[in-house]
Amino acid sequence: MYVIEVNNLTKSFGSNKVITGVSLKLKKGTSYVIIGGSGSGKSVLLKSIIGILKPTSGSVKINGNELTNLNQKDRDKLMLKCGILFQGGALFDSLTVADNIGFGLVYGFGFSKKQAREIAIEKLHDVNLKDDVLEKYPSELSGGMQKRVALARAIATSPDIIFFDEPTTGLDPITSGMINELIVKFTKEMGISALSITHDINSLKHISDRVGLLFGGKIIWEGDNKDLWTTDNPYVKQFVTGSLVGPFTA
Amino acid sequence: MNFYDFLTVVGKVFLKFLRATGNIAIFLFRSLLTGLTPPYYWKQIAIQTIQIGYYSLPVVGLTALFTGMAMTLQCYDGFSNFTSEGAIPSVVMIAMTRELGPVLASLMVAGRLGASMTAEIGTMKVTEQIDALSSLSVNPYKYLVFPRIITGTLLMPFLVFIDDIIGILGGYLVGVYHLGFNSANYIHNTFVSMSAWDVCSGLIKGAAFGFVICLMGCYQGFSSTKGAEGVGRSTTNSVVSSSIIILLLDGILTFVLF
Ligand SMILES: Nc1ncnc2c1ncn2[C@@H]1O[C@H](COP(=O)(O)OP(=O)(O)OP(=O)(O)O)[C@@H](O)[C@H]1O
Ligand SMILES: [Mg+2]
Repeated sequence: MYVIEVNNLTKSFGSNKVITGVSLKLKKGTSYVIIGGSGSGKSVLLKSIIGILKPTSGSVKINGNELTNLNQKDRDKLMLKCGILFQGGALFDSLTVADNIGFGLVYGFGFSKKQAREIAIEKLHDVNLKDDVLEKYPSELSGGMQKRVALARAIATSPDIIFFDEPTTGLDPITSGMINELIVKFTKEMGISALSITHDINSLKHISDRVGLLFGGKIIWEGDNKDLWTTDNPYVKQFVTGSLVGPFTA
Repeated sequence: MNFYDFLTVVGKVFLKFLRATGNIAIFLFRSLLTGLTPPYYWKQIAIQTIQIGYYSLPVVGLTALFTGMAMTLQCYDGFSNFTSEGAIPSVVMIAMTRELGPVLASLMVAGRLGASMTAEIGTMKVTEQIDALSSLSVNPYKYLVFPRIITGTLLMPFLVFIDDIIGILGGYLVGVYHLGFNSANYIHNTFVSMSAWDVCSGLIKGAAFGFVICLMGCYQGFSSTKGAEGVGRSTTNSVVSSSIIILLLDGILTFVLF
């Protein structure tokens, strides 16, 4: 049973063809991780899959629903089942941490502010932050703290599918480890499906069931976690070792 | 430059203008369509009411006060040549309510509010906060644009009204305390020739200008491109375009209303 099925998706900005044909499938309760060089279009791919960017062509099915065929109302409903972490956090500057985390609960699910706040506290603990940040504004937090608040916001609505764009970038190794644990817990214990992007090899090792390497607008290699370390594919090899020699040129 | 090149340039500019107009119309249509269907975001409307109504008062009031004062002084200079100083109160009143009140207040608000609106929304756009809104199943047009346009349109007449009062008061202060008018006479002359239409036409203009400021402010914010430079450019565009539209529209409305 696949929760996400992407078929031959392309996305261009004007004449700039960023994604030239990506197909991938995410099995329920598993974690798919997209890797690839900086600027290879990972974030664009993720946004095109969730429909924040309109794909130029191709098909995306989430829970069996073809995204382009859905009307706004059904799309919104589907979105409520998805938790999205943006690469830059994308916290609302004008709202406190508590209101940021509770936003989806209040506006999407009609929770009262008080209920939302209780859940916000719980989710803050999940990402290893304390209650004292609740009334702070995003600008008063460090970069890593912002990322974690954004993570808390993404999981606040208890989504069925999570989309994480570089969840551990900018975090210290211990916090990174915690976030990795959390993602593993989501998929292994709670049956949540995850589609993530990462640059962090350690994170890749821990959280991925399946991995796709994006290069030149296509997934040029796909395999299971264990294949990562044994494959002969020069791109993957270079990526996991961080070597300067290989098909990637900086 | 030959004639052909000239036509090309004119054509390009015209097409660009048409495209922008079309985009703005679609933008407005989307915002109204989503904004007018429940649920309504009252809290956003309340926040904008304070932003637009309350925080614009000082700048609008100051402009009005000094415009009224200067207006009276200038009129005195001219009118005393014809010993028709008695007309000053009503001239100041008409100028303030029909023209200067709505236009100056709106230009000031375009500078203050339109700019900050574009900067705020533009920053939200480039930092993916607008994407984040949709990802939390909140329509950004409904949440960000509609409350601003609706409060801007409804509150601007109120600001213009305050502007009228303060402007006339400024004229009174200069007239009575500087030029030596009799206070009772000045007040009498102000109101004797005042018609409700003078004030109302100004308020109608105010509503139209408020609408323009907020529409352009939001539209330019949504069109921001990446980087601090992108947001800066949009902010400038917002103020310049709404100021030009206000002045153009003022001409058209004056023609239509009188
Ligand atoms: N909204 C947009 N409009 C135009 N071009 C865009 C837009 N978003 C991204 N691009 C272009 O798409 C390409 C891929 O960008 P993307 O952000 O997906 O890279 P990435 O793989 O996520 O990189 P990183 O690892 O650095 O985050 C870049 O060349 C970028 O200029
Ligand atoms: Mg990216």
